[in-house]
Amino acid sequence: MTRHLSSRAPRLRTKLVGTTLLSGVMLLSACASTATGQKQSAMVGSAQAEAFRAQRPAGGVLAVIRYPAVVETAAKDKYYDAFRASPIGGSVPSNADQSLQEGIADSVIVKSNYFALSLYKELAARLPEHGVLLSPHAVKLGPDGRLTSEPITQAESIPNVVSVDFATYSFPDPKKMMGSEPLTFGDLVTPLITVRTDHRAAAETQGVLLASEDILKTAAGAGRDEVTKNLTKMQRGQFDTTPSELDFVSYLRRDRGMDVATQRLNGDASFNAVMSYPLEKIKLDKTALSQLNSATSGSVDPLERVFSDAMADRVIGIINDVDVNQAVMASRAAAIAEFDPSLAALTFVGSSSADYQARARYAERLLEAQRKYLSVQSLRIFDGIHNGEMGVQMRDMILAEYNVLDKRRKMAKQQNTATALSVLAAIGAVGVMSQDKGSDGRSSYGEYLLTNALIQSAFYAGTQAYSLKQQSKSVAGNYLSSIVPALEQQTTVTVDLIDSNETITAIRYEDLQTKLQELYTTRQRALNTVATRCGFYDAGGATGTWMGVCNGGRANGNGVGVVQSGDGRAIEYYGYASGGVANGPGLMIVHEPNRSFTLEGNFSSGQADGAMRVAEAGKSDQFRSYNAGRDVGAAQSAPASPFTSAPPAPVSRASAPRLVNPQAAPRRVAPRVIQSAPKAAPAIAPPIAPVVPKS
Amino acid sequence: MKYLAKAASLTVLSLTATSTAASAQVTTQTYETAPVILSAPVANAYASNSYASDPDFCINTLSGFQTENPEARYQFYTLTQEIARDASPELRTALTHYSQGDTVAPDANILDVIEDATNPVLRQAAPEITVANLAYVIDFASQCDTALSGQINSLKAYDPALGNAEFNAMISEDALFLRQILSDSLVRLGADTDPQYGAITGTYADSLVRTRDAVEFTAFVSEVDELEALYMTDLDGRLKRSNDMINEEMDLEVLGDAVGLSNSMDAAAAKRAKQERILSLIRIMGGRL
Repeated sequence: MTRHLSSRAPRLRTKLVGTTLLSGVMLLSACASTATGQKQSAMVGSAQAEAFRAQRPAGGVLAVIRYPAVVETAAKDKYYDAFRASPIGGSVPSNADQSLQEGIADSVIVKSNYFALSLYKELAARLPEHGVLLSPHAVKLGPDGRLTSEPITQAESIPNVVSVDFATYSFPDPKKMMGSEPLTFGDLVTPLITVRTDHRAAAETQGVLLASEDILKTAAGAGRDEVTKNLTKMQRGQFDTTPSELDFVSYLRRDRGMDVATQRLNGDASFNAVMSYPLEKIKLDKTALSQLNSATSGSVDPLERVFSDAMADRVIGIINDVDVNQAVMASRAAAIAEFDPSLAALTFVGSSSADYQARARYAERLLEAQRKYLSVQSLRIFDGIHNGEMGVQMRDMILAEYNVLDKRRKMAKQQNTATALSVLAAIGAVGVMSQDKGSDGRSSYGEYLLTNALIQSAFYAGTQAYSLKQQSKSVAGNYLSSIVPALEQQTTVTVDLIDSNETITAIRYEDLQTKLQELYTTRQRALNTVATRCGFYDAGGATGTWMGVCNGGRANGNGVGVVQSGDGRAIEYYGYASGGVANGPGLMIVHEPNRSFTLEGNFSSGQADGAMRVAEAGKSDQFRSYNAGRDVGAAQSAPASPFTSAPPAPVSRASAPRLVNPQAAPRRVAPRVIQSAPKAAPAIAPPIAPVVPKS
Repeated sequence: MKYLAKAASLTVLSLTATSTAASAQVTTQTYETAPVILSAPVANAYASNSYASDPDFCINTLSGFQTENPEARYQFYTLTQEIARDASPELRTALTHYSQGDTVAPDANILDVIEDATNPVLRQAAPEITVANLAYVIDFASQCDTALSGQINSLKAYDPALGNAEFNAMISEDALFLRQILSDSLVRLGADTDPQYGAITGTYADSLVRTRDAVEFTAFVSEVDELEALYMTDLDGRLKRSNDMINEEMDLEVLGDAVGLSNSMDAAAAKRAKQERILSLIRIMGGRL
């Protein structure tokens, strides 16, 4: 055997060394990752901690946290398919284990439920009492058979300044668990976030203020769809009350996206652009994690220091910068329309008359009662999930996952050592072969034995590395397949808790609403002027709808007007009108197929006329002067605002609207340098011809 | 006026809907700023005095109020203060003018004055007397504000229950009724069309509308508060019980079983891997092990 080997040894040896080296290099190049995450989120440091200083909207909340709480049985398959088909952070091989992928898809829902509470807790601590609500969504099939989501509770039925879509994400391939792909498992969390407000407060970005970069375009597209849906309803003389679906679901459904201006997280807040939040795998707070199995684990939040704390600061900053009135005016009108349609459209601009003031106060107090009531429900959902057995088991699950991940990390280290050994042995063998030659230029027997031993060591180390890699994968696979019953239980209990909370609340809420409305009807005083529906026209004569004060079938007073055309163009106008057209201080939002912009100032005979605040995507607000709908240079005075100005005097009299100090305006942007030359009208002028050049 | 009637031995005040008519009408009118006539006479001899200048007047008049129980005293002190709400110097000038020489005797019992002011016959037949009566009360409240406030604060300190919002809203409603009588009487006397006093009469009527709105809103809020407290406490209790029940039903062993199963599968996999490694080693060593 030895002789036989000896005679064939050089060729075989060369082959073996070559193979070992190759496998070693391959193993080295595929050196096992230890699934490390970032010590803290990019949010930390980019967001300045600031106190809440915005005005709380009467009868509204400041933030609503929306998250996927459950997938309805009928929608499960579609959800799994969509989850597989729309991976974030890489591509999924077609031969990936489907049952394990489904486990990951389920865990995304379970984790979103739990970690959303961390953000809720942080926001509740920073905002005034009853300022934040939880809105769990059910992922379901829509009437068209496509995936959609609907809120389970009524949290989104009352006005809110911002909504935060929150979900945790894991790449749908368990084999990539140790790679760089996004993961929410053990001590790693990948949040997917969208922060949006009503488009009337940020029309330039379709209402989106901050979004995870991978879903940003989808969020903007969903925002635009929401705008169209909203305006279509208003064109019919109604206010839209249907909450939008989760951006995460829109993404899974591969909805059409929209390009919008973006900026980094720590960009200029006055810039009309969406803050882009990078996809990141955040490592949970190690100290907090070590306390998770203690008796006081309920008070431990491993996501707080590394993410939620900074995220809450960011949301507070956003709320402080948003024009609260513009953010809630439509949802407030929609909520008021439920019990007082005569008042609803008047609330956009308001009035100083005693009858309006009195009645609006009643309506706001009614909304206030509803807000407090829904807030109790959110607090109890938090309590039920976080502080009960459910929360204990969730924390145990995080620890169990952490152990799995830790086991894999140790194996990865062993695998890396084995890989290094195999490479070293292979290099040693080559070294022996090339240097330890006898006088005849042939290898000695001793050299042959040494080379052989080194080759064998290389093989063994390589085998061991490969074995560890396989074992590491099986550790994850074993966990994911055996954890399914626990995930199912978590889901069931979560659904039971939310459903029970909603059922109890809805029964009592309906009862309370009836009583409140009875009280409202019997107590509120008459309005001298009521809101009705009539004609509203753009400068070109296109017909739209006006909801507000009418006279002779035409807009004549304050209210809201919409003119929508079939080609994706539309204008919406909030302010004063006369003879059916915009006249007096007003806020006009112009929608073109690929962009939207805002004009706020004085309008005359349907056209922008005088100083205007012009808000366009990718720029800070500008103050321009308009004459009969045309931009004629920088504004020399501050623009009027329908929300702070007195109503205009009758047309026959000359009237100067009360001025808004640009420095005191919410966006706090200084007027730009005067441009002397009037600008040309765009080729296709928007309906009331506010001329804003395309960026 | 039920509190007034209950607390005092006054004749039951006859409330009529006509009292609100004047104020309701004027809400639709627009008034310019009222002319200020500083040199005009005041409603009675004591109106321009302060408490410091004639404390005896205040003490004597205060003694005319109810003394039996603190609640009744509180009601009348507060009522008097509320009657004087929004009574600007310009309005008091107008009241002097429309009292048409009728004055109330300095030693008049304040309860009698208020009772006279609510007398429906006098209101119809001699509104100038009603104006004079209420002007007296307003002047007293203005002159003796320090004493009245002191009494009110002392009574509140003695019995904090007197600060009850609903109770105070009732007093405000009674005061508002008397103020509406005053406004109504001024309109009867033609003050609303008087070039000199029309504006201030209108302003006063507007203030009544605002006060009426505020009083009614306070009552509305009070009822909503009650509903809220009742429903929120009820809801919170129900949700908590439901949460506890659902949490108790949770099978705490499911996760332990899953982790146990996963561990034993890992152990089996590790054993298999070890065996495979040994076999690999044997193969590498050419079967010599």
